[in-house]
Amino acid sequence: MNRRRQFIRGAGLGALAFSVGGASVLLTAREARAQGVPYRTLKGSEAEAIEALGETLVPGARAAGIAHFIDHQVSVPPEEALLEARILNVRPPYLNFYRAALGALERASQAQHGRGFAQLSNGEQRELVSLMRQNKLEGWQGPPAGFVYFVLRSDAVDVVYGTEEGYKDLGIPYMAHIAPLKRW
Amino acid sequence: MANEKVDAVIVGAGASGSVFAATLARAGKKVVLLETGPDWQLSDLVSSDFWGRRIKAAGAPFLLEGKNAFGYSYQSGWGVGGAALHYFANLPRLLPNDFKMKSEHGRGLDWPIAYQDLAPWYDRVAQDIGVSGDAKAEEIWRPAGKPYPMPPMKTFRHGEVWVKACESVGIRMVPAAVGMNSTEYKGRPACLYDGWCHVGCPTGALSNPLVTYLAEARKRGAEVRARSTVTRVLTNKDGTRVTGVEYFDEKKRKQVQPASVVVLAAWAGQNPRILLNSASERHPKGLGNKNGLVGKYMMCHFASGTWALFDEDMQNHMGTTGAQFMSYDRYAKTSHKGAFGSTFIVAGTALKTSDLAGFANARLDLFGPELHGFMKRAARGLTRLNAFGEELPNAENRVELASEKDELGLPLGRLVHSYDSDATAVWNANFEEGLRVAKAAGAQESWSARGAMPTIHLMGGTIMGTSAANSVVDSYGRSHELPNLYVAGPGIFASAGASNPTYTIFALSLRGAERLAAKWV
Repeated sequence: MNRRRQFIRGAGLGALAFSVGGASVLLTAREARAQGVPYRTLKGSEAEAIEALGETLVPGARAAGIAHFIDHQVSVPPEEALLEARILNVRPPYLNFYRAALGALERASQAQHGRGFAQLSNGEQRELVSLMRQNKLEGWQGPPAGFVYFVLRSDAVDVVYGTEEGYKDLGIPYMAHIAPLKRW
Repeated sequence: MANEKVDAVIVGAGASGSVFAATLARAGKKVVLLETGPDWQLSDLVSSDFWGRRIKAAGAPFLLEGKNAFGYSYQSGWGVGGAALHYFANLPRLLPNDFKMKSEHGRGLDWPIAYQDLAPWYDRVAQDIGVSGDAKAEEIWRPAGKPYPMPPMKTFRHGEVWVKACESVGIRMVPAAVGMNSTEYKGRPACLYDGWCHVGCPTGALSNPLVTYLAEARKRGAEVRARSTVTRVLTNKDGTRVTGVEYFDEKKRKQVQPASVVVLAAWAGQNPRILLNSASERHPKGLGNKNGLVGKYMMCHFASGTWALFDEDMQNHMGTTGAQFMSYDRYAKTSHKGAFGSTFIVAGTALKTSDLAGFANARLDLFGPELHGFMKRAARGLTRLNAFGEELPNAENRVELASEKDELGLPLGRLVHSYDSDATAVWNANFEEGLRVAKAAGAQESWSARGAMPTIHLMGGTIMGTSAANSVVDSYGRSHELPNLYVAGPGIFASAGASNPTYTIFALSLRGAERLAAKWV
């Protein structure tokens, strides 16, 4: 008998409670994005920047719902948040960090290219992220650029590679004792 | 609001608090544990790096300062079980040279006890919680003791590949001592080797407090009050004895729990915070702090990781988050020329994709398509050797109270931490040796996991010693100033060694708790 099976409850990784038409619906961040679920906290421009940055950092992060994931996580009490920021000593509320980080990114993008980060070409986005990683963006104002790179890269890694789907894509068995529940 | 007086109130339901609770309850004492976080069950331990973060740092943050700010949140606990709910269960012990560093080298601090004083307690803990390993093999580095109750864990290619390579540079590897079941033990199942230990093992194969000491404590009548945050330890009018604690319950109501004995087992950072906040007319600098040593000598470990990529299936998704193999061959304080401090080496950690220790972070410089290419290769071929180094005790590394307060009115703790040149030298030496080993292992690629110098396993702050002149507590964790106040956990370590601390936490706590039960105050 496979003892692991005794512990499996629920199914599917990453189902969050999203509000759709006034009702709470359990969706993955990917499904929430595909269904165009409204953001709870992030402004449209912020979500757009997160998607652009996430996609630059980890291909597939946009479709995997990085903006919906972060939006959900900054909308719940810090004690319930599942963000990597929580284990990187970012002081709650986590929204403050993301707003400061995105503000710094946008200012850097405007200063370098006269356009917001989401409006840059893929090549320009990569170049800017490379400089951000190395703390080489002059005039950067906000959380340390290298740290912003690390946190947002971690978020993108989470939604792309940290899911059962991500493991499958890499050819690694997920092997959960207890599969994540459909309650977040 | 006052509660009925109990024999002992224990602040914190983690590794050390659970041992005290079980031991005192076994002795017939009425025990209450106050735990600031939730009352987790095994079924809450979901196999996911996302969900695993729920059992880590929450609540009032510590303000972090110093050259090497202490990143505590990855390793801290939140709720019943504490950090031991998600510990890797590596259970190396300290060695004799850790206890006499000052005497033998004129550096750091001595412990008031020797290895032999603690050795029987290591053996007792092994039987209590279940340890797998090869005690005989460890005797090349330490005095003989009792065998572990279970044989070593199963090994996998990503650990085995390091053994001969380490031998080639004089590092002998033996099976790692781990608090996991290689076979069924005391009704708990054997390990499944799926590598989710770091987010909490729900099967009971790993010896987290929920299935060991805390389970026994509850069975024997100890009461656990979750979401109860202690802010002060209270004393009698003369300030000569503690009388209980003040805490806020889950509805944020202020309560008092009177007790004959108070055991502070919150966390190495939190215990000093509570003691300092317990200042009174009789204890103007905080409880047990006439000498000004509460909060001083905070210490930690640092890791020098070496990544090695092979063009074969290393089975790296299998195993445990802990280690398959370990070595004390660099444990002598002067192992590395020009550096001072012990090193403890482990190999064979199961890898997951994300989270702080995930293999996506093995190449932090990569992003975009290059990262994806690396992930595909690393998913089967990556493995890591880890060398943990010792930081020497330094009074400047400290916890103190900040002016800013949390929602309960308790001043936030400020944790000030900087490494000295010895630590940096050991760190660098271990990186250099790691690369030599990886080359000997025949890795296609190898590189050092360099970044900001990591801070692992917070210890100190309420150190033990021979008297009130040089320490906060005695070797049992009893305050030098207040006879019915105990402190438990890694905070009472007088030096850090380089071994993972939890085995020593268990052993010291069992020793202290049995002494308390036998000589009730």
